[in-house]
Amino acid sequence: MDQLLDLQEKCPSNNQECPVFDEVRRLREECKRLQELTQVDTLTGLFNFRYLMMSLEGEMERTRRTGLSTGLIMSDLDHFKRINDTHGHECGNEALQWIGKIWHEKLRRIDMACRYGGEEFIVILPGTRLPQAIRAAERLRFALENSPVKLNGKLVRLTASFGVDAYRGRKKLTVETFIKQTDHFLLEAKARGRNRVCYDENKITVAMEGLTLDEREALFATRRPER
Amino acid sequence: MPTKKAPVTLCITSGKGGVGKTSLTVNLAFALAEKGARVLIVDGDLGLANVDVLLGLSVKRTIRDVLDSGADPLESVIYLEPNLGVLPASSGVPEMVTLGPEDQSRLGSVLTTISSHFDYALMDTAAGIGPSVLWFNSFVNHNIIVLSPDPASLTDSYALIKILSRDHNRKNFHLVINLANSDGEGLQTYETLEKVAKKFLNLDLQYLGTVPDDKSVHKAVRGRYLFIQKAPQSKASQALFDLADRIKMLKEMTS
Ligand SMILES: Nc1ncnc2c1ncn2[C@@H]1O[C@H](COP(=O)(O)OP(=O)(O)O)[C@@H](O)[C@H]1O
Ligand SMILES: [Mg+2]
Repeated sequence: MDQLLDLQEKCPSNNQECPVFDEVRRLREECKRLQELTQVDTLTGLFNFRYLMMSLEGEMERTRRTGLSTGLIMSDLDHFKRINDTHGHECGNEALQWIGKIWHEKLRRIDMACRYGGEEFIVILPGTRLPQAIRAAERLRFALENSPVKLNGKLVRLTASFGVDAYRGRKKLTVETFIKQTDHFLLEAKARGRNRVCYDENKITVAMEGLTLDEREALFATRRPER
Repeated sequence: MPTKKAPVTLCITSGKGGVGKTSLTVNLAFALAEKGARVLIVDGDLGLANVDVLLGLSVKRTIRDVLDSGADPLESVIYLEPNLGVLPASSGVPEMVTLGPEDQSRLGSVLTTISSHFDYALMDTAAGIGPSVLWFNSFVNHNIIVLSPDPASLTDSYALIKILSRDHNRKNFHLVINLANSDGEGLQTYETLEKVAKKFLNLDLQYLGTVPDDKSVHKAVRGRYLFIQKAPQSKASQALFDLADRIKMLKEMTS
């Protein structure tokens, strides 16, 4: 696809009104439109489930090859049912669109924000370690909480709960298991009162890269049993 | 009546998560309060299993409310005992730290105002070295590092101390070894870290104490009560009362 788009911008024989070249250009645009249709969630403008699964697979493979970890944020709009019941379905949809807009604004260009289904969202953060992924989730949580949306002419404050994890490529893991693992922390965030970010605290460490070889040696040497 | 002596502010950090920061902070606060001191717990961790949850608190006024309305900052403190207050995470403290420098300095002055009504302010922090962890560690008089004898925790606390001393000019580190099998193991862990820090960072780390791995701590967390209250005779409680005594000596040193 990319190659197709990279083709020359002008007819090679320099014919200003070349019908073949016009047709190629039309087909190219059509391809782009169809590609978007298969990748984008029409309501929110975020990537769709299909694209999510495909990209996550690719990013996890990249992690296994390069050792750069892949971050994953799962989030769920709090009290979605209540929004639908009080303000109506239309407003429910507007709330989801609002989230799409904020996620789009607050994430980096390399991050992939996807609609997972219903009121659930997943963000893939390529080359991102757990602490940064947590910070990104905090940023989203904070931004949503502090940007009320107008529903039925009334300002409504939306919040969401977040689960965060990162894949470091150390063990073989399927896309489904990675998502399930992250979902566990999302459930934890819901259970602990919503509007918060949960993750595995035990996985957080101070980066060891900051230590010299001598320091590491010294820390471990003294702990070996003396003979 | 509040004496106008500056309070001792302490930050409890570990680098690695799950080594007992929150359990130690809360129980230590009770131990100090039991000895008659006025103690404030500041929850600097918005993550899971934090002080709110451990104590089952809900907040009526956040720090932001205080700043916006000019209300009395003490209104955001929840009192567990007449001389024991908590500033829960849901009051917005850790959140403000992740904001810009202006909010941070406003937060600093609010915390100073609130702390001035207490003898001790204990600040529990998140795992890792995110912005909030660094902020709390730079704000306080004394940095308490909690670690376990586990090699991963040892390395992690060394890395943390290195960053705090080199990039944030912190020099007063007090070590608490938690989850130890014996006092001997705790002391040995301290000595290892002390030697390496002396050699490579030219720092003198202080030994504050060892807290044993004790089943009563686990039970307390599951039952949502404080082991220091329900099981004051347990080994862990005894160790915490000793810690409280040492911390009182810090106060005499500071003032
Ligand atoms: N001295 C101890 N003995 C036994 N279990 C402990 C002890 N200290 C902490 N724990 C347990 O370790 C777990 C993590 O403790 P926590 O205080 O939440 O750590 P942190 O705040 O550092 O993440 C808890 O389940 C707690 O019950
Ligand atoms: Mg904790």
